[in-house]
This record gives sequence, structure tokens and C-alpha cells, in this order.
Amino acid sequence: MESEVLEKSGKTVVLLGNEAIARGAMEAGVGVVAAYPGTPSSEVPVTMAGIAKKIGFYFEYSSNEKVAFETAAGAAWSGVRALTTVKHFGLNVAADSVSPVAYVGVKGGFVIMVADDPNGWSSAQSEQDTRYYARMFKIPMFEPSNPQECLDFTKKCFDISEEFEMPVFLRTTTKVSHSIGSVKLGKIKSPNRRGHFEKSDRYYNLRPKLQEMHQAIDKKLDGICKKYSKVFNTIEAGKGNIGIIASGVSYGYAKELMHVLNLKVPLAKVGLSFPLSTEFISKFIKGKKEVLILEELESVLESEINAIAKNVNPKIIVHGKDILPNYGEYTLELLAPAFEKIFKKKLGINFKKQQKMVKKVDENLPPRKPVFCPGCPHRSTFYAVKQVYGDNAIYAGDVGCYVLGIFEPYKTIDFMISMGASLGLAHGISRVSAQDIVAFIGDSTFFHAGLPALANLKFNDGTSPLIVVLDNSVTAMTGHQPHPGTGRTGMGDITEKIKIEDVAKAMGAEVRVANAFNQKQLIETIKEMRKMKGLRVLVSRGECRLVTKRKFEKQGIPLPVFEIDPEKCVDCEKYANTFACPAITKVKDTKGGEPKYEIDPDLCLGCGVCMQVYPKGAIRVKKVNKK
Amino acid sequence: MSFSVMLTGVGGEGVLTTGVLLARAANLDNYYVRGVQLHGLAQRGGTIPTFVRFGKENEVYSPAIMQTDADLILAFEPLEAIRATYYASKKKTTFVINDSPYMPIYGNLMKLSYPTKKEVLKRISPFSRDVFMFKASEMGEKQFGKTLFGNIIILGFAVGHGLLPLSKEAIRKAIKATVPRSVDLNLKAFESGIKYGKGIEKIID
Ligand SMILES: Cc1ncc(C[n+]2csc(CCOP(=O)(O)OP(=O)(O)O)c2C)c(N)n1
Ligand code: SF4
Repeated sequence: MESEVLEKSGKTVVLLGNEAIARGAMEAGVGVVAAYPGTPSSEVPVTMAGIAKKIGFYFEYSSNEKVAFETAAGAAWSGVRALTTVKHFGLNVAADSVSPVAYVGVKGGFVIMVADDPNGWSSAQSEQDTRYYARMFKIPMFEPSNPQECLDFTKKCFDISEEFEMPVFLRTTTKVSHSIGSVKLGKIKSPNRRGHFEKSDRYYNLRPKLQEMHQAIDKKLDGICKKYSKVFNTIEAGKGNIGIIASGVSYGYAKELMHVLNLKVPLAKVGLSFPLSTEFISKFIKGKKEVLILEELESVLESEINAIAKNVNPKIIVHGKDILPNYGEYTLELLAPAFEKIFKKKLGINFKKQQKMVKKVDENLPPRKPVFCPGCPHRSTFYAVKQVYGDNAIYAGDVGCYVLGIFEPYKTIDFMISMGASLGLAHGISRVSAQDIVAFIGDSTFFHAGLPALANLKFNDGTSPLIVVLDNSVTAMTGHQPHPGTGRTGMGDITEKIKIEDVAKAMGAEVRVANAFNQKQLIETIKEMRKMKGLRVLVSRGECRLVTKRKFEKQGIPLPVFEIDPEKCVDCEKYANTFACPAITKVKDTKGGEPKYEIDPDLCLGCGVCMQVYPKGAIRVKKVNKK
Repeated sequence: MSFSVMLTGVGGEGVLTTGVLLARAANLDNYYVRGVQLHGLAQRGGTIPTFVRFGKENEVYSPAIMQTDADLILAFEPLEAIRATYYASKKKTTFVINDSPYMPIYGNLMKLSYPTKKEVLKRISPFSRDVFMFKASEMGEKQFGKTLFGNIIILGFAVGHGLLPLSKEAIRKAIKATVPRSVDLNLKAFESGIKYGKGIEKIID
């Protein structure tokens, strides 16, 4: 799909929130972009990677978010405008450097785009609310509510960051990052990529200067609040003494519900959510009887508004998390009853009744959970590990496409905490338990957070876990980005591959490399390694099949396709249910006989692993297809 | 007036692209456009709905469609059509469904059977004013060599049948901008979809 992110200034086009952020950064003349991918922020770097050379800014995928943050900060220190993008957990990884950089400040505008994910559309893990970070690190936070604001806010954020010489947060949630909408474009500014680092004692964040710096940040925050509250926070006048305060996507929901309920009540939009302007909130809540706060996740604004209300309008009733949840995402149907109750209006839709009806029609439908793609190397590796280790070993999981191993029939992921955590957790368990442990980690994750954990395993005699690196030569789950092991940079340049086996050997591990699509080799190697003592790493290498498919398509070479010989496929059901490739489907027999298994040629991506798993001769290569 | 379209189907089958195409067409018709893609993962095979809403600027604000409130649901897979009923209602909603079943692997594992066409229609009926269900993928493959053209045929059908208030010209332009690599075939698939929608040519059902 071609993006319209580079269309001409003055045009109104349809962009994704994340594409609009990318455009905003280019309109601000961003010179350096460094990121590690993470849904729902990934489309910002994905968009920018592809056009960096054309526009002339520097782009890199860094090995993790902390390094990305530091890369961008270094550029900003040297006077170049810089952007880093993270998903909520990514900020945890970067966090260690964020606070000190806020203290010492920046020269070039520095925007940290952070995307929260209420509801856990991406990799679940937790519903962390990043707005607390703004408060903890004392960094201003701007929150756009739609794609147009994504563009406009990003652009302004660079100016404000530069004006106050401090990094700023641009925070979205999934429904803002992934929303699509009409966006009016401005002019792309030719990027300034060259800077100069000037030595200065502003970087000496030592005692007693540290306290001065601390005070200076507070001054800057005050300054930003005074000058920019009126730009980013707006009041739309209305009738009555009950008002609404909303931020982010909730603002859109509020406007929509006001429209359908024909409500003309006062509405305040908070676009600068930290520091929250006392003056702005006071002005809005003065004289009001009630106010409804709309913010997804925790009651961050609500607590601060309550504190302000104590002084200016102690009698006001503040609604928020008393009637709305602090988990999941808001929806129109979730908010509608609250509106009906508070504003005494009727929408006339019985959502509950309809939900019941829907539940009934959904009954007994085959569920469509995400599954490994046909041809996925992870399926093959998990299958082989299971053949050797069975059901009883502890399977320490990590974050990546392979989390799908958590589901039936594989059950090869017992837990998944954060990137790189499989190794540390497996090590911890092995210190107190003699159970068999296999720890899985993806290749991108290995470079992201696996290295310190591996060093620790060697250092502290981590002899028990078998470490399996699932090397599909790409950061697959977030949209197939390169990483240090792929030999290609974010801008598409060739770079020397770092081989995982070399790194593991250097850390003192016994290492084997197996072809992820070769069951026999996998099983033999795993059996061998199970018996070994000491730190041991199996690199199971096989390219993500979607990447292979794209490569073949580009070259016009067809992938092989397989087919089942029904005569020879005894016990086909058993294999279908344990190997579970979505390309192998059960079809009704048109003549009324037993249902049969067939390989759907449209789905099969020709990895050939089924041929090794199913009974001999049951599966053979079909004709060459034209995909 | 605001108009809400839900597109739904299985990951990897062009739902996202068709959604963007539709949003762009609405933009070219000078509507104000809002919408959202509901997805997180790269793997194929999950459910991935997209919402596209358009209207006058001061009439569409929410990117998501409210429960029961879709005007049109374009479902590229029958099971996903059933799952979209949450956004549908008897009063408002028309479904256009590509009858190309894709049995999820968990159906087999859990020994659940795929609903027949009759059953699909029966389940959707209380949530719809009208339902059209036909073999768009098969038609796409027969005419243009690829099942993927089924999506554009579905879109063309909706336009031809007067179910989608967007101009053909805008959709043609959006096709050119969105799928530049196979414009000609997509345009042809769109025209043939319109003919099916108008009843000039017979659909395969
Ligand atoms: C700190 C953090 N950053 C980013 C992510 C998003 N994320 C989830 S999985 C993943 C990629 C994993 O790649 P890899 O380990 O190679 O596994 P693959 O998906 O390729 O199987 C990323 C970046 C995250 N969950 N946490
Ligand atoms: S995207 Fe690649 S790694 Fe992920 S499930 Fe599909 S084939 Fe496997």
C-alpha cells in the first residue's frame, strides 16, 4: 500500500495517526530519528525508515529503546532536531537515561513519542499508564486526539522543546496511533543533519549543581504551562453547570456522544496533560456543579483536578473512575450510559440486550485466535522441542511472534514477562529447582535485552536452562524490522551481521546452530544438548516465512506447494492437531464420506516441515504454483 | 449525515488496504474522514476489523463505530461477518459478505464445525436490514486470476447496489493511489463488482 505521507503541502489526505506524526516530524525538519519498534508506535519508524534518504534525515533502528533514546539525545545535544519513538514498555527500557537528560536539557528539539496500549492489542504484558512517567521525570506531555493533531502537535513539540531546551513527550494511545483521518498537510522542511557538540558545564549533573538543575526544570515546566496551556487546552462553551473534561481519543468520543445526544454542554479538552494548568482547570470548574473526566486508564487527571477543586470549588462533584473503568479502552457504548445518567438524556439503544443477542450468535463459532503463519519457523522449532522435552519441562517464554506458543497445541510458552526476561527468570528458577528448563528468546530480543542476561548466566553458573534462540532473521512481530543480526540497517544499507553464535561463544556458551526447517537435525541437536552441562545455546535458524514469501514474490520465483496423499495419510487428524498448520485444513467430502485433510494451495508457503512430521509419503510436493 | 462502514476479515487478506482505499475515496469526495484499524500483530490469520466513518466535519468525531451503529459491513469472510454483529442492528445495517470461508485452525482443534451459509444468514438476520452473500473470491479468481480481487468486487457491489454513498470516480482514483502495482485489474474488478451490484451480471452464490 502506498502511503500519502509525502503528498504536497496544502493537500488534505488520509493518514494514520502514526503517519501524521512522521509527517509532523518532517515538517519540523527532524534530522535524526532513532527507534526500536513496538506496537502501537511502530508505524512512525516504519514510515520514516522508507523515506529517510529521500528527505535527507538520518534514521536508525537501534538495538533497544534505551540506545535509541540516547542516540536521539546525543543528536539533540549537538543541536539537531531528534525524534525517538517507543511503545509504553519501551519507555521502561529507556527510563534510566530519560530523567538525567531532562535535567541537563537539550539544544535541538527532542521529541519522545510514546504510545500506550490500553486493552493490550499488541503484546499484552500489562496496561501501563505512561502519564506517570511525565510526572516522575518532570517532562511535559502533549496528547493529540486525532491524526490532524498528531501532525500539528508533533511539529509544535519540536519548537517548544527547543525553546525551553528540554525533551518533551508526545503521548498517544492505540486508538490515536491507529486511527485514520483527514489531515491537512504543511510544508516539509529540509532537515538539518549536521550539528556540533559544544562542551559545557550544563552537562555536569553533580551535587550541588543537581539541586539547581532540579529547580530549573520546575521553572521550565511553569514557563511551558503558562505559555502553552492556552494553545493546547481549549474550552468549548456550552449550557448548564455540568461540564466535561477530556483528553486524547476520549475527546472524540465526547464530541460524538454530544452530537448524537444533542447535548450542548461545556467541554474542555486537555492537550497538554503535564503540567496540567491549574489556571485552566480552575477557570473551567468554577461555578460548576459537576464535572465528568474522560481519560483512559488511571485517574491521573482526575486526581489533579480534585486537588485543584479543593481550592476553587470544593463542592463540585468530580466524576470519572467512580463510574468508568480504569482498565481497557473506552468505547462509545461504554461512555453512553454515563452520559445518559449525568446529563439525563436518552439515546434509546439497549446495548446490554444487544450484547446478549450477540453472545448467543457467537456461540460455538470456531474462535479465530492469532496463529503462527503457515511455514513459520517457530512452529517447527517448538514442535521439535516438544518431541524431546514433552509436557513437563518449564518453557520460559519471551516477547515476539513466538508468544503464540502459549496456546494449544504447542504449549511451549509458560510465561512471558518482558523482553529478555526468559533468561533471567529461567536462571532464577534453576537456582532453586532441579526441573528441566528450556528458555526461548527471539533474535531481535536477544540483541535487545538478552546479552546482559546471558552474561549473568555464564557469570553465575547458569547450567540448567537450555537456551533456544529462535532466529528468524528479523523483528517479525512488529512488522519485520531489521536488527543487529540481519546485516541491514534501518535505512536499508548493508552492514556486517553480528552472528548470535559468535556472541554466545564469546560469552562462554556451548553453541549449536540448527536449521529450523529440519526436524531431524533439530531433534538430534536438542537431544544432544539436553544431556550437556554448562551454559548452552541452540540457535534455531530459519527465516520468517513472510519475509521469504516477499523475497520470492519480488524475484518472481514461485514457492513450492505441498499436497496430501489421502491414501497414505493415516492418522492425519492427529498430526493436524499437533502440528497445527493453518494451511492444512479439514474439508468435507463432497460424496458424503469422512472429511479429509487438504493443503490449501493459497495458504501453503512451502516450508516442507509437514512432510517431515506427517507419516512417510503422506505429503508430497505439488505442482509449482504461481504465487 | 455521517456514514459508518466496518470492514472485517482475516489478517493478510487485504482488509487494511481496502479500508484505507475507502477512507481515501471518502476524502476525495470531500468528506471529513475518521476511522481506526484494530490490529496489533504481524502474523496472519487473526481477525482485523477496520472502521471508516465519513460525513461533514462537525458530524464525525469518533474514530470507532458505536455498538449497533454501522451502516454498512463489508465482510471478507463469513465467520467474521457473524462476529461483526456487535456493530450491527436491524434498523441500520446492511452486510455484504464474501462467501469464502476460512476455517480457523482452532475450529478443528476444538472440533467445532464451520457454519453453513444458511446458518450464517440466520445468525446475521436479527442484526441486519439486508444481507448479500456471494462467492466474490471465486469470482475474483475466475475473472482476474486471484482470490484477492474478491475484496474490490465486494466494494464494487456495494457501490453498484447503492449501499455506499461514494462516487465511482473517487473510488477509482483511490484505487490508483492505493494499489498502484495492479491498478488495471483492480479497476476492472471494481467495474465488474458494480455490474453485479446493479444486477446486470449474475453473481455466483
Ligand atoms: C520493551 C519492549 N519493546 C518493544 C516491544 C514490542 N515487541 C514485541 S515483540 C518484538 C519483537 C521481537 O522480535 P524477535 O525477538 O526477533 O521475535 P519475532 O517476532 O521475530 O519472532 C517487539 C519489538 C515490547 N513488547 N517491549
Ligand atoms: S510473521 Fe514470521 S515469525 Fe511471525 S508467525 Fe508469521 S512466519 Fe512466523
